Amino acid sequence: MDLKKLFQMNPDRSLYPEMGEDGKPIIDLSSHKFLKIWQGPQHPGITGNMSLELTVSGDEIVESKTHVGYLHRGFEKLMERRKFIQCFPTCIRMCVAEPDPNEYILAAAIEDLAGIEVPETAQWLRTLALEMARLQILLRSVPGQGGTFALGLGYQWGNYIRDLILDRFEELTGGRVYHMYIIPGGVRGLLPDGFKKRMEENLKLVDEFVINIDNLMYNNSVFKQRAKGLAVIPKDWIDTYGVYGPTARAAGVMRDVRKTHPYLKYAELDFEPFTTTESDVYARSRVRWHDLQTTVDLIRQIMAKMPDGGEIRAETPNVLHWRIPKGETYQKCESSRGEYGMYMVTDGSDKPRRVNLKGPSYTHANALLDKLLINANIADTAAIMVSLATCPPEIER
Amino acid sequence: MKDLIKDIESRFKTSDYIQKLDHLAFITVEKEQAISLVTYLRDYRKYAGLTLLTAVDWLEDGVFQLTYLLNNPTDYTEIGVRVMIDRDNATMESSHHLWENMMTYQRELREMFGIDFPGSPRIEEDFILEGWDNMPPYRRDFDTKKYAEETYFPRPGRESNDPATYMKSKMYPND
Amino acid sequence: MNIKDVLSPFTAWKRVARDPVTVKDPFNDRPGADRYRGFHKNDVEACIGCGTCEDICENEAIDLVPFKDPISGDSGLRPSIDYGRCCWCALCVDVCTTNSLTLSNEYTWVATDPDEFIFTPGVDKKDWDENEKGWKKPEGNYEFYGLKRVEMEHLHPEERSDSFIEMVKGYSKEQAQKEADRCVECGICTATCPAHMGIPEYIKAIRNDDIEEGLRVLYETNPLPEICGRICTHKCESVCSIGHKGDPLSIRWLKRYIADQVPSDKYKDILDTNEIENNDKKIAIIGAGPSGLTAAHYLVKMGYSVTIFEQFEAAGGMMRYGIPEYRLPYESIDKDINYILSLGVDIKYNTRIGADITLDQLGKDFDAVFSGTGLHLGRSTGIPGSDNEHVYYSTDYLRKITAGEEIEVAESIVVIGGGNVAMDITRSLARMQKVKYGKANIIATSLEKEDVMPADREEVVEAREEGAIINPGWAPQSIEIKDGVPTGLHVVECNSLFDETGRFNPQCSMDVKEFWPGVQIIESIGQGMDLSYISEEFKENMAFSPRGRVETNDYFQTGVKWFFMGGDIIEGPDVIHGIANGHKAAIGIDNFIQGIDFKAAK
Repeated sequence: MDLKKLFQMNPDRSLYPEMGEDGKPIIDLSSHKFLKIWQGPQHPGITGNMSLELTVSGDEIVESKTHVGYLHRGFEKLMERRKFIQCFPTCIRMCVAEPDPNEYILAAAIEDLAGIEVPETAQWLRTLALEMARLQILLRSVPGQGGTFALGLGYQWGNYIRDLILDRFEELTGGRVYHMYIIPGGVRGLLPDGFKKRMEENLKLVDEFVINIDNLMYNNSVFKQRAKGLAVIPKDWIDTYGVYGPTARAAGVMRDVRKTHPYLKYAELDFEPFTTTESDVYARSRVRWHDLQTTVDLIRQIMAKMPDGGEIRAETPNVLHWRIPKGETYQKCESSRGEYGMYMVTDGSDKPRRVNLKGPSYTHANALLDKLLINANIADTAAIMVSLATCPPEIER
Repeated sequence: MKDLIKDIESRFKTSDYIQKLDHLAFITVEKEQAISLVTYLRDYRKYAGLTLLTAVDWLEDGVFQLTYLLNNPTDYTEIGVRVMIDRDNATMESSHHLWENMMTYQRELREMFGIDFPGSPRIEEDFILEGWDNMPPYRRDFDTKKYAEETYFPRPGRESNDPATYMKSKMYPND
Repeated sequence: MNIKDVLSPFTAWKRVARDPVTVKDPFNDRPGADRYRGFHKNDVEACIGCGTCEDICENEAIDLVPFKDPISGDSGLRPSIDYGRCCWCALCVDVCTTNSLTLSNEYTWVATDPDEFIFTPGVDKKDWDENEKGWKKPEGNYEFYGLKRVEMEHLHPEERSDSFIEMVKGYSKEQAQKEADRCVECGICTATCPAHMGIPEYIKAIRNDDIEEGLRVLYETNPLPEICGRICTHKCESVCSIGHKGDPLSIRWLKRYIADQVPSDKYKDILDTNEIENNDKKIAIIGAGPSGLTAAHYLVKMGYSVTIFEQFEAAGGMMRYGIPEYRLPYESIDKDINYILSLGVDIKYNTRIGADITLDQLGKDFDAVFSGTGLHLGRSTGIPGSDNEHVYYSTDYLRKITAGEEIEVAESIVVIGGGNVAMDITRSLARMQKVKYGKANIIATSLEKEDVMPADREEVVEAREEGAIINPGWAPQSIEIKDGVPTGLHVVECNSLFDETGRFNPQCSMDVKEFWPGVQIIESIGQGMDLSYISEEFKENMAFSPRGRVETNDYFQTGVKWFFMGGDIIEGPDVIHGIANGHKAAIGIDNFIQGIDFKAAK
């Protein structure tokens, strides 16, 4: 008996599905060789709701279509009917898990169009808030990659520390999830007394977590077996599919707005975003693991460099009738998922003419995901989606 | 970016150039030349990345503004190409062949603004609004508040007063 | 597959012996952070119900509901919050004009009835009302609107102390728009303005740079904007919601800004008064003061033929003859008045009712009569020496200055009185002293202490800048006379004015006394009305209060149906009450002539 054949993990799939002359699979549902299944809208691969319409042959996906719309609230349209200051509590909901980049790009777009200079202290505090936001989401998404392969333990560890980071958010901003801190013109408060000390205690836990998760996940034979070589994104897809942030950096392409277009105080901070070239699920997760360490380091640098007091908000016109001259701009920042931008058009009235949010999931979870899922195993969809950091609310806004 | 703009201006019918930021410029191009310009930027001027495609409804002027925002992955500059199209006959040449992700934008624009891109794959399929039977909701003349009031019901028992009117009614009702 | 990758995950077992990190105590509260944004709290005593919180709420979660009867400066409304809509963004807290609205750090509250989640913080008592913690407006330079008033440029004291040139320069366009930007459009001021002017609306017109619209708003309720824009007592500013945290809006200067921008020849086009349809009814108005002019303006716009009878040679009443030129230049008075006259109002100067024509005759010749004859008689303190010929009334003196008559300006002067008129005469005479003698030597006093002096604060400050001495809190006792000429005023310290029941009953320390030298004494302790033009038998048909004041109904109709009275005689004294009375009387007269029933005279 050929033991090797018995334990062979990848059966020969070359026979199915049958390929047509154009190189695409011949899908004939009536042939009974194919099955259409829906995954979602409650999907393990995402925060939020999204469906995948999969055509499978056996357990292999031959075609995938992304269906969104379960979270559509029309924020872009709602903002057209709201005064600039009123957009501030609205915009954060466009990505729930990491709301601060929403606040920042809205504020940056308004400030750019209105010609407002944000005070030094406020810029430092914004940088801190953005890095804290990255920290809390990476504490979820780094071990979350393990979660998609049923390795739930790291997720528990990460979420515990994330809760502590949310405690810091709570004392800094007054909110745990919706921070509503980066307001057009500045920020809404200085650091509370003793904040840096408590933050440092939390960061020590993150340091420990980084080592533990390395042992638990990245040096785990099962995880490696499943994640390595999965859903490889070739380098030449980066521009044609619109790939950003850690996902692009895993393919060896430097994409980090913090470096390419330094905003706020990033030019004064010392860091080097990690890149690698394997471009599979493992590599993308590994990039995030490095990002987590970079973020911890950045938070330490920010807390050491930032001034203790100072002005937190620039003088703006009366927010109740704040008119902004006609113009348009595109402002962006680096979210944990990649370039996160806002295109804003103003027409001289007290409300924006058009707001358009561009999050990386828009391209990652549509064109790119549809492509990556072809020939993937059904059991790997969640892992692939998490590796692309899919966030449905930023697709449909 | 000045050289680039000069080059574009010499080759295409453009107008309204604005250098918004050091790395970000906007320029308007005639509708007929729009896809040529975008293709030129992508193939010859290294603007290989599509940051976004979106529309702005200038209801008063009867036009939609399409903005193709392209990025250059080598020098990290961005250029927004504006195209004005007739609002009553909202059709634009499809450019799905240039970027794999373009069809998603075009599907969304068709659904949300009613701008058609004939030939774009799956353009007829619902994107976000499954079963929507009203006018495209991102058009300016779609009134979200009115729609909400007609579709949903207000919480009963809520009533507000304007301070000035209330004071008048109580303090000097005869005036 | 290497063996390390098989063993490495088992390092997780080292955590087995650790304490669990979950919260061990589920029974005790875990309070929110100091800045937590939980349920609202409202200090209902500090809140004025301005509704700014409602305006900024993007979720329309806030309603203004009645809490108590409105009073000047407080709408009596309080914000009620629908927690089905609230998103706890706390913009309502940050925008609050009084800092009364805050959030608590309470985030766990359970109720089974959904309606309990609509409540009025501070009114509907909650457990967290007394809890200090929770979101408050951030400290420091964090403001949603300007708290600092745009400085109005004045002539320097050196420049103005010897001239009657207008001292307030007026706002430029940038300044006016910046100041107008501070308004939160709450409308609390409208109720306090006696004329109920559309203040937020005309300030909005300035913001929109729509001066024509601004002028139209002004003329809806006030046909004397150039004048009011300069010398109005601006009660609106004292209740301005922005004034609770910062400087109140410069409402008066903004009004002046609008009027100053429009040239006289544009008025009729903007206000659409080139053509007025006339009816055949005739109205007589006695006195071309603020109330008479206002009544004339609104009546002539309704189509009535209006004739004003004025005792002096120019129109304006106290505005011309009482208020000094440096505060209210004659061109500004003329601009407002000439517009009213240009609408077709007939005016007969140097005509005194009672002497030149009787009131009864007016009643026969006209369909209705409005009288706004004001307070022109000086009042005397009656102290020993006050009957001396060198003791004058301020009203007479101010009129003579305007008329350009030769008047006595002594080297040292004492003014008795602490109101705005006293400041007017003090500052006018100080200027004349400066011209005549090179320096001011004038002292003004009042019974009231400095903090409760009736004069506007800025008047006192500016008078001092111009070299006058203002020394409040003294009761005049007697005027020392030597050889028929005053030598000065004896005063004693005055401690309080009113007793416990609120009656006027000054208490003085007779042993704390001073003597202020002055060869000329001006009495400026208020004015009285001159009703001598009304015959005794006519008066029998009118109603008077026990204290001798004329009584009218809400539309200023006296007991004699065709005879209306308003202005300082009835209410005030100030210009804006006169304007309000005149406007309302015009409506009353119109109703009377058209036979529309309204509440008869008391």
